[in-house]
Amino acid sequence: MSAAIDRMLDKRTAIRSGAVRSTAGPPVAATLLVCAVVVPAISGLSRANADDASVAAGPILFEGYPNAPEVFVVPRKDELFFYPCDQCHGAMEANPEIRKLDTAHHAEIDHGRGRIWCLSCHDLENRNFLKTLLDEPVDFDEAYIVCGGCHSSQHKDWVFGAHGKRVAAWQGERTQYNCAHCHDPHDPAIEARAPEPGPRARAGLELKTGTMHEASPVWGSHGTDSEK
Amino acid sequence: MTDDRGKCDEVRRNFLRGIGLSAAATVVQPAWGGQTLGDAFAGFFQKHYQQMSPEEVEAALERIERKAKARYGVDITCKDTPPLEGVVFGYAINISRCKGYRDCVHACVKENNLGRDSQVEYIRVLEMDQGTSNLEHSDHYYDPETVPQEGKYYLPIQCMQCDDPPCVKACPVEATWTERDGIVVVDYDWCIGCRYCMTACPYWARHFNWTDPEIPAEEINPDTHYLGNRPRERGVVEKCHFCIQRTRNGQQPACQEACPTGARIFGNLLDPDSEIRYVLANKQVFRLKEELGTEPKFWYFSD
Amino acid sequence: MAIIRFIFDGIREMLRGPREYWIALGVLLLVVAAGAWRYVEQVTTGLVVTGMSDQVSWGFYIANFAFLVGVAAASVLLVIPAYIFHRNDIKDVVLVGEGMAVAAVTMAILFVIVDLGRPDRLLHMLPIPGIGRLNWPVSLLAWDVIVLSGYILLNLAIPFYLLYSRYRGREANFRLYFPFVVISMFWAISIHTVTAFLFSANPARPFWHTALLGPRFIASAFASGPALIIITLQIIRKVSSYRISQSVIDTLALIMTISLQINLFFVGAELFTDFYNEGAHAASIHYLFLGLGGFNSLQPWIWFALALNVVAVVILMINPLRRQTRTLNIACVLAFVGIWIEKGMGLVIPGFVPTPLGEVFEYAPTGVELTVAAAVWAFGILLFILLAKVVIAIEQGRLRYPD
Repeated sequence: MSAAIDRMLDKRTAIRSGAVRSTAGPPVAATLLVCAVVVPAISGLSRANADDASVAAGPILFEGYPNAPEVFVVPRKDELFFYPCDQCHGAMEANPEIRKLDTAHHAEIDHGRGRIWCLSCHDLENRNFLKTLLDEPVDFDEAYIVCGGCHSSQHKDWVFGAHGKRVAAWQGERTQYNCAHCHDPHDPAIEARAPEPGPRARAGLELKTGTMHEASPVWGSHGTDSEK
Repeated sequence: MTDDRGKCDEVRRNFLRGIGLSAAATVVQPAWGGQTLGDAFAGFFQKHYQQMSPEEVEAALERIERKAKARYGVDITCKDTPPLEGVVFGYAINISRCKGYRDCVHACVKENNLGRDSQVEYIRVLEMDQGTSNLEHSDHYYDPETVPQEGKYYLPIQCMQCDDPPCVKACPVEATWTERDGIVVVDYDWCIGCRYCMTACPYWARHFNWTDPEIPAEEINPDTHYLGNRPRERGVVEKCHFCIQRTRNGQQPACQEACPTGARIFGNLLDPDSEIRYVLANKQVFRLKEELGTEPKFWYFSD
Repeated sequence: MAIIRFIFDGIREMLRGPREYWIALGVLLLVVAAGAWRYVEQVTTGLVVTGMSDQVSWGFYIANFAFLVGVAAASVLLVIPAYIFHRNDIKDVVLVGEGMAVAAVTMAILFVIVDLGRPDRLLHMLPIPGIGRLNWPVSLLAWDVIVLSGYILLNLAIPFYLLYSRYRGREANFRLYFPFVVISMFWAISIHTVTAFLFSANPARPFWHTALLGPRFIASAFASGPALIIITLQIIRKVSSYRISQSVIDTLALIMTISLQINLFFVGAELFTDFYNEGAHAASIHYLFLGLGGFNSLQPWIWFALALNVVAVVILMINPLRRQTRTLNIACVLAFVGIWIEKGMGLVIPGFVPTPLGEVFEYAPTGVELTVAAAVWAFGILLFILLAKVVIAIEQGRLRYPD
């Protein structure tokens, strides 16, 4: 378990916990930034405070939360089987029409009960990026910007550590998992699974146990639901 | 024919060798529960942890390591890492994220060298009916096909590391006390096994070794702490200690690490920027049996 | 030295007796040996040989402990009339009562020891730096260790002094022993109050967490103790020529009647308080009297115990019946057994059912527990017989220092 975490920590990137800038200025570069310099948490829109010279000066995607801590995020791009997407889509024509896509190469969407489809999150012009609600490109390793566009309360909780999972240490550098690490963006609901075995009785004793009778709702004694 | 005779001879040789070996072994085999006579003697006179000098603690740690080697054939290290400065641990569980998997329960069993047969589990997950928080309507032994079940929610319970612990008051020999970092610990070499602390605990968090814990040698966690997961014997009480062997080295407790949904949030209550402090300041948290005044450092919330 | 001679003479007296005496001693020793054998099994394997569990972590041993501390405390019911009210008839038997107190406290302490997970670490209880660490005054168990040890010492030292004086044929110095007698009176109440507080101090256990537990303990002690003393005195009357006035038995029977009435009133008060507006805190008493979640192994026992106590108190309240030996003895046996059930298992086990997490898990003592418990009782009875033998011999003037 800890070996896996060590591997993860070696590959991690930093998020800018303050204002997040798009790493994709026009035109989009194919090179990706692997070692980011951490910008201390700032609030506000000041572009002058961006002291990461290697970041292209793109528009601000997300202003950040005040007093947010600095967080390192475990990257996911190398776990994506088809990435980089423009190996195929670079040559294909972009088709913005909302339609059902073949599932040989595309995921079936069970997210939002019909309110979103692929291009709600994927950037039509450049398949190596996702996009915000304002159609600005977002790196796959910063997918939380996209998720947080609709799921803002979870995003805020995640930034401050009340949602998602911090790995390895409870102190020092804070490393957390990306949203997509636990939630498949195309089918985010977590599947039910079998539980681990329950407790047993003390050695030599038989497990004959119970609690009081099942609780019935408090209104259960007032007659059935159908009675008015 | 000749082969059979050869085989008979071989069997006889092996048999005699076996007898000789076991005879020799009974002479040199350590007795006294897997330790040498000298260690047993020294262990009998071992002082309370808080009254031992650093040399005496060192000797005690070495005795524990030797005993584990004799009992399980495994090399372990036993440390007594002191508490970190400026740290008091706290824990919060998001009960809307807990799905009742019990991954935490079993990760704890492995990390803390709990007996596989003695059925001691520091964490117990309660399956609660939606609509009530009455623990008497809970099911401890749920075993459905899948979890979470419809109409249920899940409440993992373990030692709350109370700030005013009734168990510490109850112990007649001060074998349990609160450390500076807030963890309520047990000196397993001092406990007399009267089980009054188990009576006093309102959270059923303390457990007793009714028999010697059986741990498969290949599954033993060799990184141990004197007040934590070092191998214990029968007749003493033990409980969750916030994985003291990990957390005093900055690591997350095993239960937090095992939880796949990220329901568990652990950290330093004295650090205003910690996740646990954010939860306490921004979520609607509650503690179990708060009216008893035990001041648990274990909160629950949902969102 | 005379004291050495006194001790030797005492031991010689213990080893002297008719055939029936030796048969009794032999039977008791057999029971003790059987229990010791099974106790070795318990120590080498662990308490897993008992029926206790994490859910019900105290059982038959502690049940007997709680009951016996009460019996020990009841000797004060002889000490007070003898020394404060100058009842000479009771003064004749007070040393027998103190012998019973010693036996009862010894049994109580033995029950705690056999219940320990690590009896080899008993010395950890001594408040001597480098050897032990006693959590006094915070831990109620630490208090119990102190008061029980002190009670044994008082009940050995005072009779020792009085008997030794008589042995030497001289008056005991009233000014020397009387202060200790007064101390022992308060001490007797304290041992049982501390034992009650041991249980009632736990808000984790609503069944015990009542201010009434201390008074209940004293009331039931003052009902069960005299019951045992009455039976014992009659046995002594039968097997020896020791003179025991009927007035002693009448007084004890009266005290027992009143205590039993008060005890039953307390039980009623508990039942009303818990059942009138029944909440989760009443789960344990519900389990005891009515069963819980389909589990009711203690239910027949508690109702049986209640019936025994009610029948006993009715007998005792009818004056002619109380004064008649046969009916009095029946009432004593009923009350003793009834209180042993109600205050032993009927007190300890429901405190653990349900657990603080709402789980119902039952308990039943195993053969090991029953055998070891029988051995502790046998040891106590044996101890009492030996002490009583010496007391009677000295009180009757048969044991004197030759000079």
